Amino acid sequence: MPLDSSIYTLSALRLDGRRWNELRRINGQISTQQAADGSSYFEMGNTKIVCTVNGPQEQKRGGGRDQSNEAKVEVEIGIAGFSGVDRKRRMRNDKRIQEMQYTISSAFQNTLFTHLYPHSTIAINLHVLSQDGSLLAACLNACTLALIDAGIPMSDYIAACTTGSMASYADKEDEADPLLDLNGLEEQELPFLTVGTSGGEDKVSVLIMETRVQMARLEAMISVGLDGCKQIRSILDGIVRAHGKKVLESKVS
Amino acid sequence: MPSEPLPPNPNREFILSALRQNTRLDSRALDAYRPISLRFPSDPDTYGQTDVRIGKTRVLCSISCDVGAPYPDRKFDGVFSITCELGPMGSPSWEIGRQDQTEIVLSRLLEKTVRRSGALDTESLCIVAGQKCFHLRADLHILDNDGNLLDTATLALVAALLHFKRPDVSVEGEEITVYDVREREPVKLTLTHTPFIITTSFYPSQHRSDHDLIAVLDTTLEEEQCRSGSLAISLNRHGEVCNLAKYGSCGLEGLSVLTAVNMALDKAKMFDRLVKERLDEDEKMRAEVFGRKGVDLSAENERVMERPVG
Repeated sequence: MPLDSSIYTLSALRLDGRRWNELRRINGQISTQQAADGSSYFEMGNTKIVCTVNGPQEQKRGGGRDQSNEAKVEVEIGIAGFSGVDRKRRMRNDKRIQEMQYTISSAFQNTLFTHLYPHSTIAINLHVLSQDGSLLAACLNACTLALIDAGIPMSDYIAACTTGSMASYADKEDEADPLLDLNGLEEQELPFLTVGTSGGEDKVSVLIMETRVQMARLEAMISVGLDGCKQIRSILDGIVRAHGKKVLESKVS
Repeated sequence: MPSEPLPPNPNREFILSALRQNTRLDSRALDAYRPISLRFPSDPDTYGQTDVRIGKTRVLCSISCDVGAPYPDRKFDGVFSITCELGPMGSPSWEIGRQDQTEIVLSRLLEKTVRRSGALDTESLCIVAGQKCFHLRADLHILDNDGNLLDTATLALVAALLHFKRPDVSVEGEEITVYDVREREPVKLTLTHTPFIITTSFYPSQHRSDHDLIAVLDTTLEEEQCRSGSLAISLNRHGEVCNLAKYGSCGLEGLSVLTAVNMALDKAKMFDRLVKERLDEDEKMRAEVFGRKGVDLSAENERVMERPVG
Protein backbone atom coordinates (compact mmCIF):
# COMPACT_ATOMS: atom_id res chain seq x y z
CA MET A 1 0.00 0.00 0.00
CA PRO A 2 1.71 3.25 -1.05
CA LEU A 3 2.05 5.93 1.53
CA ASP A 4 -0.66 8.53 1.36
CA SER A 5 1.16 11.63 2.47
CA SER A 6 -1.77 13.96 1.91
CA ILE A 7 -3.17 13.09 5.32
CA TYR A 8 0.01 14.29 6.97
CA THR A 9 -0.56 17.97 6.34
CA LEU A 10 -4.21 17.72 7.26
CA SER A 11 -3.91 16.06 10.63
CA ALA A 12 -0.21 16.56 11.48
CA LEU A 13 -0.22 12.91 12.51
CA ARG A 14 1.56 10.04 10.82
CA LEU A 15 0.18 6.62 9.98
CA ASP A 16 0.96 5.30 13.43
CA GLY A 17 -0.38 8.37 15.21
CA ARG A 18 2.96 10.03 15.95
CA ARG A 19 3.86 13.63 15.35
CA TRP A 20 6.80 14.66 13.22
CA ASN A 21 9.30 14.73 16.08
CA GLU A 22 8.28 11.69 18.10
CA LEU A 23 10.30 8.52 18.38
CA ARG A 24 8.69 5.11 18.26
CA ARG A 25 8.41 2.93 21.32
CA ILE A 26 11.94 1.93 22.26
CA ASN A 27 12.62 -1.09 24.39
CA GLY A 28 16.01 -2.49 25.24
CA GLN A 29 17.39 -5.20 27.44
CA ILE A 30 20.94 -5.94 28.34
CA SER A 31 22.60 -9.25 29.15
CA THR A 32 19.95 -11.39 27.50
CA GLN A 33 22.32 -14.27 26.61
CA GLN A 34 24.49 -15.43 29.45
CA ALA A 35 26.78 -17.50 27.25
CA ALA A 36 28.12 -14.56 25.28
CA ASP A 37 30.50 -11.99 26.71
CA GLY A 38 27.93 -9.30 26.04
CA SER A 39 24.45 -9.35 24.64
CA SER A 40 21.44 -7.16 24.16
CA TYR A 41 17.98 -7.10 22.68
CA PHE A 42 16.81 -3.86 21.17
CA GLU A 43 13.45 -2.82 19.77
CA MET A 44 12.75 0.36 17.87
CA GLY A 45 9.05 0.18 17.13
CA ASN A 46 8.72 -3.04 15.17
CA THR A 47 12.39 -3.35 14.33
CA LYS A 48 13.81 -6.01 16.64
CA ILE A 49 17.50 -6.80 16.87
CA VAL A 50 19.41 -9.32 18.97
CA CYS A 51 23.10 -8.60 19.41
CA THR A 52 25.88 -10.67 20.95
CA VAL A 53 29.49 -9.70 21.47
CA ASN A 54 32.41 -12.07 21.89
CA GLY A 55 35.67 -10.56 22.76
CA PRO A 56 38.26 -9.36 22.99
CA GLN A 57 39.52 -12.74 21.89
CA GLU A 58 42.46 -14.12 20.02
CA GLN A 59 42.54 -13.51 16.31
CA LYS A 60 41.10 -16.42 14.41
CA ARG A 61 43.65 -16.66 11.65
CA GLY A 62 47.03 -15.34 10.65
CA GLY A 63 49.25 -14.90 13.69
CA GLY A 64 51.77 -12.59 12.18
CA ARG A 65 49.67 -11.07 9.41
CA ASP A 66 48.10 -8.27 11.33
CA GLN A 67 50.74 -5.92 12.65
CA SER A 68 48.44 -3.32 14.07
CA ASN A 69 48.48 -2.79 17.80
CA GLU A 70 44.77 -2.29 18.01
CA ALA A 71 41.88 -4.68 18.33
CA LYS A 72 39.86 -5.37 15.21
CA VAL A 73 36.08 -5.08 15.30
CA GLU A 74 34.36 -7.67 13.14
CA VAL A 75 30.65 -7.49 12.54
CA GLU A 76 28.32 -10.10 11.12
CA ILE A 77 24.70 -9.40 10.38
CA GLY A 78 22.14 -12.10 9.78
CA ILE A 79 18.73 -11.00 8.60
CA ALA A 80 16.06 -13.59 9.29
CA GLY A 81 13.91 -14.64 6.36
CA PHE A 82 10.76 -13.88 8.34
CA SER A 83 11.87 -10.37 9.27
CA GLY A 84 10.21 -8.52 6.42
CA VAL A 85 6.78 -8.51 4.90
CA ASP A 86 7.67 -11.16 2.30
CA ARG A 87 9.71 -14.18 3.24
CA LYS A 88 13.09 -13.71 1.64
CA ARG A 89 16.24 -15.67 2.26
CA ARG A 90 19.09 -13.18 2.36
CA MET A 91 22.43 -14.44 1.21
CA ARG A 92 25.23 -13.60 3.60
CA ASN A 93 27.47 -11.98 1.04
CA ASP A 94 24.89 -9.51 -0.13
CA LYS A 95 26.72 -6.27 -0.85
CA ARG A 96 24.19 -4.21 1.05
CA ILE A 97 24.70 -6.24 4.21
CA GLN A 98 28.45 -6.13 3.76
CA GLU A 99 28.32 -2.37 3.56
CA MET A 100 26.24 -2.24 6.75
CA GLN A 101 28.75 -4.50 8.47
CA TYR A 102 31.56 -2.22 7.38
CA THR A 103 29.71 0.86 8.63
CA ILE A 104 29.11 -0.63 12.07
CA SER A 105 32.62 -1.98 12.42
CA SER A 106 34.30 1.28 11.43
CA ALA A 107 31.96 3.24 13.70
CA PHE A 108 32.95 1.17 16.72
CA GLN A 109 36.57 0.93 15.66
CA ASN A 110 36.75 4.62 16.45
CA THR A 111 34.79 4.77 19.67
CA LEU A 112 36.03 1.63 21.39
CA PHE A 113 39.37 1.81 23.15
CA THR A 114 40.92 -0.68 20.78
CA HIS A 115 44.46 0.24 21.73
CA LEU A 116 43.94 -1.60 25.02
CA TYR A 117 43.62 -4.96 23.25
CA PRO A 118 46.32 -5.32 20.60
CA HIS A 119 46.23 -8.29 18.27
CA SER A 120 42.74 -9.31 19.27
CA THR A 121 39.30 -9.37 17.72
CA ILE A 122 36.00 -8.15 19.03
CA ALA A 123 33.31 -10.13 17.22
CA ILE A 124 29.83 -8.64 17.05
CA ASN A 125 26.94 -10.76 15.82
CA LEU A 126 23.64 -9.18 14.96
CA HIS A 127 20.41 -10.97 14.23
CA VAL A 128 17.54 -9.07 12.76
CA LEU A 129 14.27 -10.64 13.85
CA SER A 130 11.93 -8.07 12.43
CA GLN A 131 12.56 -5.03 10.29
CA ASP A 132 10.28 -2.05 10.05
CA GLY A 133 12.59 0.81 9.15
CA SER A 134 15.68 2.24 10.88
CA LEU A 135 17.61 -1.00 10.48
CA LEU A 136 21.10 0.48 10.63
CA ALA A 137 20.19 2.78 13.50
CA ALA A 138 18.72 -0.04 15.57
CA CYS A 139 21.78 -2.20 14.87
CA LEU A 140 24.13 0.53 16.08
CA ASN A 141 22.09 1.03 19.24
CA ALA A 142 21.90 -2.70 19.94
CA CYS A 143 25.68 -3.00 19.46
CA THR A 144 26.28 -0.17 21.92
CA LEU A 145 24.28 -1.94 24.60
CA ALA A 146 25.92 -5.30 23.98
CA LEU A 147 29.42 -3.80 24.02
CA ILE A 148 28.72 -2.14 27.33
CA ASP A 149 27.46 -5.44 28.69
CA ALA A 150 30.69 -7.06 27.50
CA GLY A 151 32.59 -4.50 29.51
CA ILE A 152 34.67 -3.15 26.64
CA PRO A 153 35.69 0.42 27.38
CA MET A 154 34.51 3.04 24.94
CA SER A 155 34.60 6.80 24.73
CA ASP A 156 30.84 7.21 24.45
CA TYR A 157 27.63 5.50 23.39
CA ILE A 158 26.81 5.53 19.71
CA ALA A 159 23.18 6.58 19.51
CA ALA A 160 21.56 6.48 16.09
CA CYS A 161 18.21 7.25 14.56
CA THR A 162 16.70 8.04 11.19
CA THR A 163 15.18 11.25 9.87
CA GLY A 164 13.27 11.87 6.73
CA SER A 165 11.84 14.72 4.75
CA MET A 166 8.16 15.07 4.09
CA ALA A 167 8.12 16.58 0.67
CA SER A 168 9.54 15.39 -2.60
CA TYR A 169 11.99 17.73 -4.23
CA ALA A 170 9.34 19.49 -6.27
CA ASP A 171 7.33 20.84 -3.37
CA LYS A 172 7.54 24.18 -1.64
CA GLU A 173 9.86 24.87 1.26
CA ASP A 174 7.22 25.39 3.92
CA GLU A 175 5.59 22.01 3.39
CA ALA A 176 8.81 20.08 3.79
CA ASP A 177 8.76 19.08 7.41
CA PRO A 178 11.50 16.81 8.64
CA LEU A 179 10.29 13.57 10.26
CA LEU A 180 11.97 11.66 13.06
CA ASP A 181 12.32 7.89 13.24
CA LEU A 182 10.75 6.55 10.07
CA ASN A 183 9.00 3.22 9.94
CA GLY A 184 9.29 0.77 7.06
CA LEU A 185 6.54 2.17 4.88
CA GLU A 186 7.79 5.75 5.24
CA GLU A 187 11.33 4.66 4.43
CA GLN A 188 10.25 3.18 1.13
CA GLU A 189 8.54 6.32 -0.02
CA LEU A 190 10.33 9.28 1.52
CA PRO A 191 13.97 10.39 1.38
CA PHE A 192 15.65 9.60 4.66
CA LEU A 193 19.02 9.44 6.33
CA THR A 194 20.52 7.55 9.26
CA VAL A 195 22.61 9.60 11.66
CA GLY A 196 24.62 8.32 14.60
CA THR A 197 26.24 10.51 17.20
CA SER A 198 28.98 9.82 19.66
CA GLY A 199 30.97 11.92 22.07
CA GLY A 200 28.78 14.96 22.36
CA GLU A 201 25.41 16.11 21.14
CA ASP A 202 26.60 17.63 17.94
CA LYS A 203 29.22 15.12 16.87
CA VAL A 204 28.11 13.08 13.90
CA SER A 205 29.86 9.74 13.84
CA VAL A 206 27.85 7.91 11.18
CA LEU A 207 25.85 9.50 8.40
CA ILE A 208 24.31 7.43 5.65
CA MET A 209 21.80 8.71 3.15
CA GLU A 210 20.80 6.70 0.12
CA THR A 211 17.92 8.67 -1.28
CA ARG A 212 17.77 11.87 -3.23
CA VAL A 213 16.92 15.10 -1.43
CA GLN A 214 17.36 18.80 -2.07
CA MET A 215 20.35 20.40 -0.39
CA ALA A 216 18.17 22.88 1.45
CA ARG A 217 16.30 20.13 3.30
CA LEU A 218 19.48 18.63 4.72
CA GLU A 219 19.93 21.16 7.47
CA ALA A 220 16.52 20.51 9.00
CA MET A 221 16.90 16.76 8.64
CA ILE A 222 20.29 16.65 10.29
CA SER A 223 19.34 18.91 13.19
CA VAL A 224 16.18 16.91 13.89
CA GLY A 225 18.31 13.78 13.68
CA LEU A 226 20.83 15.09 16.18
CA ASP A 227 18.02 15.92 18.57
CA GLY A 228 16.58 12.45 18.15
CA CYS A 229 19.98 10.92 18.85
CA LYS A 230 20.17 12.90 22.07
CA GLN A 231 16.88 11.37 23.17
CA ILE A 232 18.03 7.91 22.19
CA ARG A 233 21.28 8.33 24.06
CA SER A 234 19.45 9.13 27.26
CA ILE A 235 17.19 6.11 26.72
CA LEU A 236 20.23 3.86 26.22
CA ASP A 237 21.85 5.34 29.30
CA GLY A 238 18.67 4.65 31.27
CA ILE A 239 18.66 1.00 30.17
CA VAL A 240 22.29 0.54 31.20
CA ARG A 241 21.84 2.20 34.55
CA ALA A 242 18.66 0.24 35.34
CA HIS A 243 20.47 -3.00 34.60
CA GLY A 244 23.42 -1.94 36.70
CA LYS A 245 21.16 -1.11 39.59
CA LYS A 246 19.48 -4.50 39.35
CA VAL A 247 22.83 -6.29 39.36
CA LEU A 248 24.03 -4.32 42.37
CA GLU A 249 20.85 -4.92 44.30
CA SER A 250 20.99 -8.66 43.68
CA LYS A 251 24.59 -8.76 44.90
CA VAL A 252 24.14 -6.58 47.95
CA SER A 253 20.91 -7.93 49.37
CA MET B 1 50.99 -7.90 0.16
CA PRO B 2 47.97 -8.10 2.41
CA SER B 3 47.51 -4.41 3.04
CA GLU B 4 48.86 -1.16 1.82
CA PRO B 5 51.82 -0.07 4.00
CA LEU B 6 51.00 3.01 6.00
CA PRO B 7 53.21 6.07 5.59
CA PRO B 8 55.99 6.32 8.15
CA ASN B 9 55.37 8.53 11.17
CA PRO B 10 57.58 11.46 10.11
CA ASN B 11 55.71 11.64 6.78
CA ARG B 12 52.41 11.56 8.58
CA GLU B 13 53.41 14.29 11.01
CA PHE B 14 54.71 16.41 8.18
CA ILE B 15 51.49 16.15 6.20
CA LEU B 16 49.35 16.94 9.26
CA SER B 17 51.43 19.91 10.35
CA ALA B 18 51.51 21.26 6.80
CA LEU B 19 47.71 21.07 6.67
CA ARG B 20 47.48 23.01 9.91
CA GLN B 21 49.38 25.75 8.14
CA ASN B 22 47.07 25.54 5.13
CA THR B 23 49.59 23.94 2.79
CA ARG B 24 49.72 20.63 1.00
CA LEU B 25 52.66 18.73 -0.38
CA ASP B 26 51.92 19.76 -3.94
CA SER B 27 51.09 23.38 -3.01
CA ARG B 28 47.42 23.04 -3.93
CA ALA B 29 44.66 24.89 -2.14
CA LEU B 30 42.76 22.74 0.34
CA ASP B 31 39.75 22.59 -1.96
CA ALA B 32 41.56 22.35 -5.29
CA TYR B 33 41.50 19.29 -7.50
CA ARG B 34 44.53 17.91 -9.27
CA PRO B 35 44.57 18.25 -13.06
CA ILE B 36 41.70 16.21 -14.47
CA SER B 37 42.00 14.54 -17.85
CA LEU B 38 38.94 12.94 -19.45
CA ARG B 39 39.46 11.13 -22.71
CA PHE B 40 37.16 9.23 -25.01
CA PRO B 41 38.32 6.64 -27.53
CA SER B 42 39.57 8.02 -30.80
CA ASP B 43 37.94 5.18 -32.75
CA PRO B 44 34.73 6.63 -34.20
CA ASP B 45 32.87 3.33 -33.89
CA THR B 46 33.44 2.91 -30.18
CA TYR B 47 31.09 4.61 -27.77
CA GLY B 48 30.98 4.54 -24.01
CA GLN B 49 34.60 4.22 -23.02
CA THR B 50 36.36 6.73 -20.87
CA ASP B 51 39.84 7.08 -19.49
CA VAL B 52 39.82 9.47 -16.57
CA ARG B 53 42.82 10.74 -14.67
CA ILE B 54 42.70 12.93 -11.60
CA GLY B 55 46.34 13.54 -10.85
CA LYS B 56 47.89 10.08 -10.97
CA THR B 57 44.72 8.18 -10.14
CA ARG B 58 43.49 6.51 -13.31
CA VAL B 59 40.20 4.75 -13.97
CA LEU B 60 38.99 3.17 -17.17
CA CYS B 61 35.27 2.67 -17.71
CA SER B 62 33.66 0.73 -20.50
CA ILE B 63 29.94 0.38 -21.20
CA SER B 64 28.55 -2.44 -23.28
CA CYS B 65 25.07 -3.65 -23.91
CA ASP B 66 23.31 -6.79 -24.86
CA VAL B 67 19.70 -7.84 -25.37
CA GLY B 68 18.18 -10.13 -22.80
CA ALA B 69 15.20 -10.79 -20.59
CA PRO B 70 14.26 -8.36 -17.84
CA TYR B 71 13.93 -9.35 -14.19
CA PRO B 72 10.54 -10.95 -13.58
CA ASP B 73 9.61 -8.47 -10.87
CA ARG B 74 10.68 -5.49 -12.98
CA LYS B 75 9.05 -6.07 -16.31
CA PHE B 76 9.28 -2.52 -17.57
CA ASP B 77 12.89 -1.88 -16.67
CA GLY B 78 16.12 -2.79 -18.35
CA VAL B 79 19.04 -4.28 -16.48
CA PHE B 80 21.98 -2.15 -15.52
CA SER B 81 24.93 -3.59 -13.65
CA ILE B 82 28.17 -2.02 -12.51
CA THR B 83 31.30 -4.05 -11.83
CA CYS B 84 34.54 -2.69 -10.46
CA GLU B 85 37.77 -4.45 -10.86
CA LEU B 86 40.56 -3.64 -8.47
CA GLY B 87 43.64 -5.48 -9.64
CA PRO B 88 47.31 -5.44 -8.77
CA MET B 89 47.88 -2.83 -11.46
CA GLY B 90 46.11 -0.26 -9.35
CA SER B 91 47.76 -1.05 -6.08
CA PRO B 92 50.04 -3.88 -4.95
CA SER B 93 47.70 -4.72 -2.08
CA TRP B 94 44.76 -5.53 -4.35
CA GLU B 95 44.24 -9.08 -5.57
CA ILE B 96 41.77 -10.08 -8.23
CA GLY B 97 38.95 -12.17 -6.84
CA ARG B 98 39.48 -11.17 -3.23
CA GLN B 99 36.92 -8.70 -2.02
CA ASP B 100 38.65 -5.82 -0.36
CA GLN B 101 36.85 -3.31 1.86
CA THR B 102 37.75 -0.64 -0.68
CA GLU B 103 36.05 -2.60 -3.41
CA ILE B 104 32.86 -3.05 -1.41
CA VAL B 105 32.67 0.64 -0.53
CA LEU B 106 33.50 1.72 -4.07
CA SER B 107 31.02 -0.52 -5.81
CA ARG B 108 28.24 0.16 -3.29
CA LEU B 109 28.67 3.93 -3.54
CA LEU B 110 28.76 3.81 -7.33
CA GLU B 111 25.62 1.70 -7.37
CA LYS B 112 23.80 3.94 -4.97
CA THR B 113 24.85 7.10 -6.74
CA VAL B 114 24.15 6.04 -10.28
CA ARG B 115 21.68 3.19 -10.05
CA ARG B 116 19.59 3.79 -6.97
CA SER B 117 19.24 7.51 -7.51
CA GLY B 118 17.70 6.80 -10.88
CA ALA B 119 20.33 8.67 -12.87
CA LEU B 120 19.97 6.18 -15.69
CA ASP B 121 16.39 5.83 -16.85
CA THR B 122 16.08 2.05 -16.95
CA GLU B 123 12.60 2.23 -18.44
CA SER B 124 14.12 3.52 -21.63
CA LEU B 125 16.09 0.28 -21.89
CA CYS B 126 12.95 -1.78 -22.15
CA ILE B 127 12.14 -3.17 -25.61
CA VAL B 128 9.17 -5.44 -25.05
CA ALA B 129 7.79 -5.41 -21.53
CA GLY B 130 8.43 -8.66 -19.73
CA GLN B 131 10.30 -10.27 -22.62
CA LYS B 132 13.19 -8.30 -24.01
CA CYS B 133 15.23 -5.45 -22.70
CA PHE B 134 18.73 -4.11 -22.92
CA HIS B 135 21.27 -5.41 -20.43
CA LEU B 136 23.63 -2.54 -19.87
CA ARG B 137 26.92 -3.38 -18.27
CA ALA B 138 29.45 -0.93 -16.93
CA ASP B 139 32.93 -2.24 -16.22
CA LEU B 140 35.34 -0.10 -14.29
CA HIS B 141 39.00 -0.88 -14.02
CA ILE B 142 41.12 0.96 -11.54
CA LEU B 143 44.44 1.27 -13.26
CA ASP B 144 46.23 3.39 -10.72
CA ASN B 145 45.36 4.38 -7.19
CA ASP B 146 46.77 7.64 -5.92
CA GLY B 147 43.86 8.62 -3.72
CA ASN B 148 40.35 9.86 -4.38
CA LEU B 149 39.12 6.76 -6.17
CA LEU B 150 35.46 7.56 -5.63
CA ASP B 151 35.50 10.88 -7.44
CA THR B 152 37.50 9.51 -10.34
CA ALA B 153 35.42 6.36 -10.72
CA THR B 154 32.10 8.24 -10.67
CA LEU B 155 33.39 10.77 -13.19
CA ALA B 156 34.47 7.94 -15.48
CA LEU B 157 31.17 6.10 -15.12
CA VAL B 158 28.94 9.13 -15.68
CA ALA B 159 30.99 10.39 -18.63
CA ALA B 160 30.91 6.93 -20.19
CA LEU B 161 27.13 6.72 -19.75
CA LEU B 162 26.72 10.11 -21.39
CA HIS B 163 28.98 9.05 -24.26
CA PHE B 164 27.56 5.61 -24.87
CA LYS B 165 25.15 4.93 -27.71
CA ARG B 166 23.05 1.80 -27.77
CA PRO B 167 21.91 0.15 -31.00
CA ASP B 168 18.61 1.37 -32.38
CA VAL B 169 15.72 -1.04 -32.12
CA SER B 170 12.31 -1.28 -33.76
CA VAL B 171 9.37 -3.40 -32.70
CA GLU B 172 6.70 -4.52 -35.17
CA GLY B 173 4.08 -6.65 -33.48
CA GLU B 174 6.07 -9.57 -32.10
CA GLU B 175 9.18 -8.98 -34.17
CA ILE B 176 12.05 -7.05 -32.69
CA THR B 177 14.80 -5.82 -34.97
CA VAL B 178 18.03 -4.65 -33.40
CA TYR B 179 19.95 -2.62 -35.93
CA ASP B 180 23.68 -2.79 -36.25
CA VAL B 181 25.62 0.43 -35.77
CA ARG B 182 26.31 0.54 -39.47
CA GLU B 183 22.66 0.18 -40.48
CA ARG B 184 21.18 2.82 -38.25
CA GLU B 185 22.68 5.54 -36.12
CA PRO B 186 22.87 4.33 -32.51
CA VAL B 187 20.87 6.08 -29.83
CA LYS B 188 22.12 7.88 -26.73
CA LEU B 189 21.05 6.77 -23.29
CA THR B 190 18.58 8.86 -21.30
CA LEU B 191 20.08 10.18 -18.10
CA THR B 192 17.67 11.98 -15.82
CA HIS B 193 20.48 13.72 -13.96
CA THR B 194 24.26 13.52 -13.73
CA PRO B 195 25.52 12.82 -10.22
CA PHE B 196 29.12 13.15 -9.12
CA ILE B 197 30.83 12.08 -5.93
CA ILE B 198 32.94 14.56 -4.03
CA THR B 199 34.90 13.12 -1.13
CA THR B 200 35.81 15.46 1.69
CA SER B 201 38.54 14.28 4.05
CA PHE B 202 38.95 15.58 7.56
CA TYR B 203 42.09 16.13 9.55
CA PRO B 204 42.52 17.17 13.18
CA SER B 205 43.56 20.76 13.47
CA GLN B 206 45.35 20.55 16.76
CA HIS B 207 46.98 17.70 18.53
CA ARG B 208 44.27 15.44 19.98
CA SER B 209 41.59 18.02 19.59
CA ASP B 210 38.19 17.39 18.12
CA HIS B 211 37.43 21.00 17.40
CA ASP B 212 37.73 22.52 13.99
CA LEU B 213 38.48 19.67 11.71
CA ILE B 214 40.23 20.75 8.53
CA ALA B 215 38.27 19.84 5.40
CA VAL B 216 40.33 18.83 2.37
CA LEU B 217 39.19 17.83 -1.11
CA ASP B 218 40.87 15.48 -3.55
CA THR B 219 43.44 13.79 -1.34
CA THR B 220 46.41 11.88 -2.66
CA LEU B 221 46.98 8.34 -1.40
CA GLU B 222 49.41 9.45 1.28
CA GLU B 223 47.07 12.16 2.50
CA GLU B 224 44.23 9.63 2.55
CA GLN B 225 46.14 7.28 4.80
CA CYS B 226 46.65 10.07 7.35
CA ARG B 227 43.09 11.31 7.50
CA SER B 228 40.90 10.84 10.52
CA GLY B 229 37.62 10.72 8.63
CA SER B 230 35.91 11.26 5.32
CA LEU B 231 32.50 12.09 3.96
CA ALA B 232 31.48 11.09 0.43
CA ILE B 233 28.80 13.36 -1.01
CA SER B 234 27.01 12.45 -4.22
CA LEU B 235 25.13 15.28 -5.81
CA ASN B 236 24.30 16.75 -9.15
CA ARG B 237 24.66 20.31 -10.33
CA HIS B 238 21.09 21.21 -9.31
CA GLY B 239 21.95 20.70 -5.66
CA GLU B 240 20.12 17.42 -5.23
CA VAL B 241 22.10 15.25 -2.87
CA CYS B 242 21.71 11.60 -3.88
CA ASN B 243 23.93 10.00 -1.33
CA LEU B 244 25.84 10.80 1.82
CA ALA B 245 28.24 8.33 3.30
CA LYS B 246 30.22 8.80 6.44
CA TYR B 247 31.26 5.39 7.60
CA GLY B 248 31.89 6.01 11.25
CA SER B 249 35.17 7.80 11.64
CA CYS B 250 35.98 10.93 13.62
CA GLY B 251 33.13 12.89 15.13
CA LEU B 252 32.01 15.63 12.81
CA GLU B 253 29.84 18.60 13.71
CA GLY B 254 26.51 18.86 11.97
CA LEU B 255 27.45 22.27 10.64
CA SER B 256 30.61 20.91 9.03
CA VAL B 257 28.50 18.46 7.07
CA LEU B 258 26.47 21.30 5.60
CA THR B 259 29.61 23.30 4.80
CA ALA B 260 31.06 20.28 3.04
CA VAL B 261 27.89 19.84 1.00
CA ASN B 262 28.03 23.48 -0.10
CA MET B 263 31.65 23.09 -1.16
CA ALA B 264 30.72 19.93 -3.00
CA LEU B 265 28.06 21.74 -5.02
CA ASP B 266 30.68 24.01 -6.61
CA LYS B 267 32.79 21.02 -7.52
CA ALA B 268 29.82 19.15 -8.94
CA LYS B 269 29.13 22.10 -11.23
CA MET B 270 32.78 22.09 -12.24
CA PHE B 271 32.66 18.38 -13.10
CA ASP B 272 29.46 18.88 -15.03
CA ARG B 273 30.98 21.64 -17.13
CA LEU B 274 34.09 19.58 -17.74
CA VAL B 275 32.13 16.57 -18.92
CA LYS B 276 29.97 18.68 -21.21
CA GLU B 277 33.02 20.38 -22.74
CA ARG B 278 34.74 17.08 -23.45
CA LEU B 279 31.58 15.55 -24.89
CA ASP B 280 31.14 18.53 -27.21
CA GLU B 281 34.74 18.28 -28.36
CA ASP B 282 34.32 14.60 -28.96
CA GLU B 283 31.12 15.18 -30.94
CA LYS B 284 32.89 17.66 -33.18
CA MET B 285 35.80 15.32 -33.72
CA ARG B 286 33.49 12.46 -34.62
CA ALA B 287 31.44 14.63 -36.97
CA GLU B 288 34.58 15.47 -38.88
CA VAL B 289 35.78 11.90 -39.00
CA PHE B 290 32.33 10.55 -39.78
CA GLY B 291 31.86 13.14 -42.46
CA ARG B 292 35.02 11.99 -44.14
CA LYS B 293 34.04 8.38 -43.67
CA GLY B 294 30.65 9.01 -45.24
CA VAL B 295 32.35 10.24 -48.36
CA ASP B 296 34.63 7.24 -48.35
CA LEU B 297 31.66 4.92 -48.24
CA SER B 298 30.20 6.26 -51.46
CA ALA B 299 31.10 4.55 -54.75
CA GLU B 300 32.52 7.63 -56.30
CA ASN B 301 36.01 8.40 -55.23
CA GLU B 302 37.51 11.79 -55.17
CA ARG B 303 39.54 12.06 -58.32
CA VAL B 304 41.89 14.90 -58.76
CA MET B 305 41.91 15.64 -62.49
CA GLU B 306 44.79 17.86 -63.15
CA ARG B 307 46.15 16.60 -66.34
CA PRO B 308 43.78 16.66 -69.26
CA VAL B 309 43.18 13.32 -70.90
CA GLY B 310 44.55 12.86 -74.30
